[in-house]
Amino acid sequence: MAIDRRTFFGISALGAGALTLSPSFNHLLASPRLSEHPHRFIFIRKSNGNLPQTFSLPTFSEEEKKKDKDKEAFEADLDQHELPVWLRALEDHKSNMTILHGVSMTVSGGGHYSFSGCMGAYKAGRNVISGIKRTTVDFELSKLVPSPFNHVELSLTGDYSTFRSGIVPGYSAPARHQRNYCYADPQTAYDELFKSVTNTSAVDSDNVLLEHLYEQEGRRLKNLDGKERMKISNHVDSIQSIRDRNEKVAALSGVISQSLPVIDKIHASGGPNASLLEKQEAFTDVLLSALISGLTNVVTFTIDELSTPITTLPGNTSRVDLHRLGHSKNIELRDLVKASHMAQVAKMVTKLKSVPEGNGTMFDNTTIIYMPETGAGHHGPDTEAPMVIMTGDNSKLDIAGRYIRLPFHATEGHKTLSNWYTTLLNAYGNPIEHYGDLDLEMSRKKMHQTGAIEQFIV
Amino acid sequence: MKLQLANGSRRRECLGRCIDAGGNEIVILSKAIIAITLLLATGAVALDTAHATDALVIPKTLQAVIDNRCVDCHNTNESESDVRLDGLAKMKLDERLELLNRVQQQLYFELMPPKDEDPLTVVERARLAEWVSTELNRHNASKLEDKLRLPDYGNYVDHDKLFSGQHKDLKAFTADRRWLISEFIFNAKINRLIDHKAVRTIDGQQMSVIGDNGVNLGTRFGGGTLRQSITNPFLLPTNIGVRYYDNTMLTGGHLLTMISNSKKIASYMSSEQAMKSYYPAMYRIMKMELDHRETLRSREKFLNSYVERVVQDIYKEKNDALLPEFVRITVEQIPDYDTDGDGNPIKRTNIELLRTRYGEDLQAVYRGIGEYKQDDITFEQIIEKCEKQWFIFGIHEKRLQARVTLMKVLMKQWDMALIYEDISKRNIRQEPYKPLSDSEMDIITSSILKHRKKGDRYSQIIEKCVNDWEQSFKAERVAAGQADEGQVADLLDELFVKIYERKPTANELQENVALLNAYMKKLDHQAAIAKLIESMILSSEVYYRFEFGQGPADEYGRRMMSPRDASYALSYALTDSSPDEELVAAVNSGKLGTREDYRREVVLMLKKRDQYYIIDETVQKAGFNSSITNSPIRKLRFFREFFGYTKAMTIFKDDARFSNGTRYDGVKGRLVDEADMLVDHILQKDRNVFEELLTTEKFYVYHSGNNEETKAASDRIRKIYDYFRAYDWEEFTEEELYKHWDFINEMKMMGTVFPDFETNAKRRKNWVRTFKSQMTSYTFRYANGQKSAAPYDATGMAYWNKSDASTRTGQQMRGPEVGRFFGIDFANWDYPTTQPAKIKNRKGMLTHPAWLIAHSLNLETDPVRRGKWVREKLLAGTIPDVPITVDAVVPEDHHKTLRQRLDIKTGETYCWDCHKKMNPLGVAFEIYDDFGRYRTLERLEHPDNLIEEAPRERGLHIDGRPVYKTLPVNAKGYLDGTGDKTLDGQVADVIDLTERLAKSARVRQSIIRHAFRYFMGRNEVLSDSKTMIDAEQAYLNSGGSFDAVIVSLLTSDSFIYRKSVGK
Repeated sequence: MAIDRRTFFGISALGAGALTLSPSFNHLLASPRLSEHPHRFIFIRKSNGNLPQTFSLPTFSEEEKKKDKDKEAFEADLDQHELPVWLRALEDHKSNMTILHGVSMTVSGGGHYSFSGCMGAYKAGRNVISGIKRTTVDFELSKLVPSPFNHVELSLTGDYSTFRSGIVPGYSAPARHQRNYCYADPQTAYDELFKSVTNTSAVDSDNVLLEHLYEQEGRRLKNLDGKERMKISNHVDSIQSIRDRNEKVAALSGVISQSLPVIDKIHASGGPNASLLEKQEAFTDVLLSALISGLTNVVTFTIDELSTPITTLPGNTSRVDLHRLGHSKNIELRDLVKASHMAQVAKMVTKLKSVPEGNGTMFDNTTIIYMPETGAGHHGPDTEAPMVIMTGDNSKLDIAGRYIRLPFHATEGHKTLSNWYTTLLNAYGNPIEHYGDLDLEMSRKKMHQTGAIEQFIV
Repeated sequence: MKLQLANGSRRRECLGRCIDAGGNEIVILSKAIIAITLLLATGAVALDTAHATDALVIPKTLQAVIDNRCVDCHNTNESESDVRLDGLAKMKLDERLELLNRVQQQLYFELMPPKDEDPLTVVERARLAEWVSTELNRHNASKLEDKLRLPDYGNYVDHDKLFSGQHKDLKAFTADRRWLISEFIFNAKINRLIDHKAVRTIDGQQMSVIGDNGVNLGTRFGGGTLRQSITNPFLLPTNIGVRYYDNTMLTGGHLLTMISNSKKIASYMSSEQAMKSYYPAMYRIMKMELDHRETLRSREKFLNSYVERVVQDIYKEKNDALLPEFVRITVEQIPDYDTDGDGNPIKRTNIELLRTRYGEDLQAVYRGIGEYKQDDITFEQIIEKCEKQWFIFGIHEKRLQARVTLMKVLMKQWDMALIYEDISKRNIRQEPYKPLSDSEMDIITSSILKHRKKGDRYSQIIEKCVNDWEQSFKAERVAAGQADEGQVADLLDELFVKIYERKPTANELQENVALLNAYMKKLDHQAAIAKLIESMILSSEVYYRFEFGQGPADEYGRRMMSPRDASYALSYALTDSSPDEELVAAVNSGKLGTREDYRREVVLMLKKRDQYYIIDETVQKAGFNSSITNSPIRKLRFFREFFGYTKAMTIFKDDARFSNGTRYDGVKGRLVDEADMLVDHILQKDRNVFEELLTTEKFYVYHSGNNEETKAASDRIRKIYDYFRAYDWEEFTEEELYKHWDFINEMKMMGTVFPDFETNAKRRKNWVRTFKSQMTSYTFRYANGQKSAAPYDATGMAYWNKSDASTRTGQQMRGPEVGRFFGIDFANWDYPTTQPAKIKNRKGMLTHPAWLIAHSLNLETDPVRRGKWVREKLLAGTIPDVPITVDAVVPEDHHKTLRQRLDIKTGETYCWDCHKKMNPLGVAFEIYDDFGRYRTLERLEHPDNLIEEAPRERGLHIDGRPVYKTLPVNAKGYLDGTGDKTLDGQVADVIDLTERLAKSARVRQSIIRHAFRYFMGRNEVLSDSKTMIDAEQAYLNSGGSFDAVIVSLLTSDSFIYRKSVGK
């Protein structure tokens, strides 16, 4: 059910915090500075790279085709062109769409996987903890638009034959050397995110636990001085902060319950019988409800990785898996996979456009980034990484309605994933000079490569 | 000791604030002593912060000092640097504290009064510093004191005074403290709580290891998903040098992360499997419920397997009429997988892939085919029979669809002969029917009769029966009542021992019984127990280690640690684990109360060699390296942190600059592993350890650390080379090569010829090429008369294959490119099978490529940081913080060497004041590039200077770098600060530099100072002077044993005595 954000915040100025599995680090305990209409970010990660040719517009002129093929910088107005078939679900939203070409992902590299690297603009190695070099961009953005959960990560992955379920290690990073968790099936996401209204006995027992801890640690403070006192008082204060936030959650249960999504019973117990599309749809429902209820303003959704079972995808007649598809030349099936993703993006855009907010809709304050985790193909190359970006009318990026091809990798004016993330951060309030690693080839060639993509910022 | 004070009186010295024989308060008189005050006197000067007030009272004597010496320049009319000291008492608290912080720093670094004004007397300065410190500590607001507690500021204590002997009579102690656990201790605790056991095969023998947390490993390699899901919030900083100190505190970030972790841990600990194995008291409480579950499981499993037989037995000929009407599902047309050039369908044959991709459904399909396959029925009929069986059972429509589709895919796209063969081989069949006991069968029969309705699928019948039984079991438990007090007390004993490693007190028992009851009112038993475990895990007791004095104090107010605290302090000093059995036994038998007791236990621990530790999981994973040691892990870790060479793992390098086609990331793990091996080797010998580390000319280069195995591996490829070189192998056809199958088989030449050579055309396709690649590689390794060659694989192979050489943990030994760092010419390398072995142009760890890379930038060397490291780590020197106004970027100029550009940038007077302490040391390393490669010419890597592109040909014996213009390297530097005139002076390069450093007493002492910080978790102060001197003497008297240093430190007053300075 849709709920007006103004109404929502009219009820509480603070939002609904929850004890449930909040990720690490102190900034999450900081007092939220919620603006009336915070911006929202949805990152959708997909595997197998994005083949550049499948992002070309079928109605390009000969000149545009040549430039596109030669990877020369140019822009085209999407209104003047047809979209590729796999993108047609977004036909009605072309004015909000950007096909962004020319951003390289060499800084995150990959091969089969880039793990957290594509979100943090660094090479994550083999998904080792120590390979997590910095807070990923989604978590950085969540600091700019605080919310009770701050950041929610969902992932639709598996082991080729079955889908994963439960709460599993994620790919985003709340800080250096810290791996986030994520919800691997829609029912678990639902249970955890909306726990404050769906499982009150669990919340009650959490409250008993915190009260006990508060008293126990408080007693230890007796007769302590100086630094030794601080060591314990810090802990006591932290416990109290969480208790405070839980009280606010309790006060908001009515509002959250109005936004609860309806999850089909096929998703119970991890949803072993649910098909790929059913899982995609249910995840989208949960994601939208979490945004609309204000539980979070930033969601990262791994819509697939190489081991996500896609044998139930209609049209996958040869029953190949994503990994094998990556090694094949089957463009048609690749497009089918992307089309299934676009159906979800279209659902997100449509739904958010139906929720009133301020003088417009929630979508006005939303950015959706659909991106590959490994550049332009199954094993790269990472010199390109075509993306689809959807931005609302209040976006602080001037990119909507265009096909944008930036200068190719390691040529003058080229932009890396780091530049792109710096752009997002600068546009939404983080003045960082440069986020992410440097491209070593550009460094070797002594080319300028730091800072935001200035022409994108309003 | 007596000190001569400014007024001529002689008073007994103590720390910080002292009382003389007449009971008068005095203060200590030097900058260093003030440092002691600042560092140790937190408690001595701290007031009860809970009662601190904002009011400022300035003692009259101090007010006079401020008025006379400060206010002249810092008043309403003349506020130098915008600082006014005339209105201190009237300032708002925040402003006042900020100002006092500035005053404290000015006093400490003796920057005020300025040099052109009359200085403060030592007494004035000390009194003023003491008062400022007290004021700031009232509000826990001293920035300087916080800073001086950090490892980076340890060198601010005067080195000469520390070792002069002048202060050796001061009585050392460490403050009573809670010390936050490290990331390593956290890992060990978690492994214990979730019973995570790690096993490795080391030198062919399987054994348990410590330090493998599974966090970096996929399940395929033994990583555990539960273990991987635990987030470690206690990570140490990544700086080079000592990282683990007692001044960090538990924060909200830790708590939030642990809330998430505790749920997972509690869920495991309260799981049926864990309680049966480890928690008998918990199991007793849960027994009735678990028995019920077991019964339910047994009935459900039985019915899932044999429901058809059971209902047939019950309903006999009437059964068919009760079945649902079978409706077939529609499945889309399955196309051919692919066709060959003639348009004939190609059948898929990769059965292994099939198994991994279809899992549970494939098993059901296999079972169905196995059951229904007969000569006289078609596969279509088999599909129908399977479908009907699954339909009647009630398999979910989606799964049914998936299984039938899978069968049709098999039929259309796969080689069915292979499928049948696989089914036969795997023998997937239903077990023969065996009924449960008569009583169980009676219950099942009556339930089915009660619940079955016409048209029910079997799964629906089962579900209704199970629900019915669950309800009746629940009612039975309610009737039986809750657990009794004795059972709960036993449970708490069990959990306290597991989580806190001790028994609960009476109060704790009472409190936790109440807590458990509160949970049981809201949750079922198992969930309530899990919640209790969560509560216990979130207690601060889990996250702090306790080091408190106990018993009577000596005349200086110091007390020995309690035996229990001492056992943890000792264990954590050398390992990350809780005390082992010997230590616990010592505590329990009262044998951990004297210095000699400590010595005995430390010596025992240092001698142990029966336990292996994983040094670094990241290194281990980066290329299947062993990364193991059988010495107590914290000994090696000290040198890892001190040298900081592990940072090579996180420095990103441009592969094209390393060598075209060679991945730096693929070899850095081996490089660091071999650096660890070298340090471990020197530590195991334990003779002249510091000198050896600084000057050894022997290194490991592509070696497992097992000389015997490596020699055997090298001899093996020699044998292959010698065998085939007699033939014209370059012209071999498949058939000609196959004639040598016996030899190839004996040598186990992987990737070359397979046993099924004659029948497997697909594999045969490439085998000659693989063989020739190997022989080509062997040839350049031997062609120049080498006696032996490095036994690396010429071609890459999947990880499960055995390679030409194995690591000590039995995996492929990868990363021969490690030789590139050392400038090895693989076409001319007489590979030393016994290592460490002499490598030219190297001398000590500071010339190890891992250290050089760790102290480099992405694209350049880093003379400044290298010089800083030598100044601070080896010469106990200090470098001021970089002023915020400094633009620390070396200007670009592609016609100059880095040194030339650096000289221009840092040569200005403003910069040189600090850089003179670093650059003359750091430039001596310029004989190596930023990959640690020895050089005499510096490549000017800029597009304008490109002479020749990188060669397209790739190979380990080819330098795959582009050619640039070069300039000669100038590595002449200057050593000062050893305090030894025979050593200080101009140095030719880093080889010369390290030779001199190794001879320096100051260097030896500096390493000991860092070891002190590492093992004590705090900075040294003058009262630790005796500890330092004793440790140095222990080193000298033992022929350079680092073990002797450790024993000395861990039996020193600084370690064994504790004092309450803030509880």
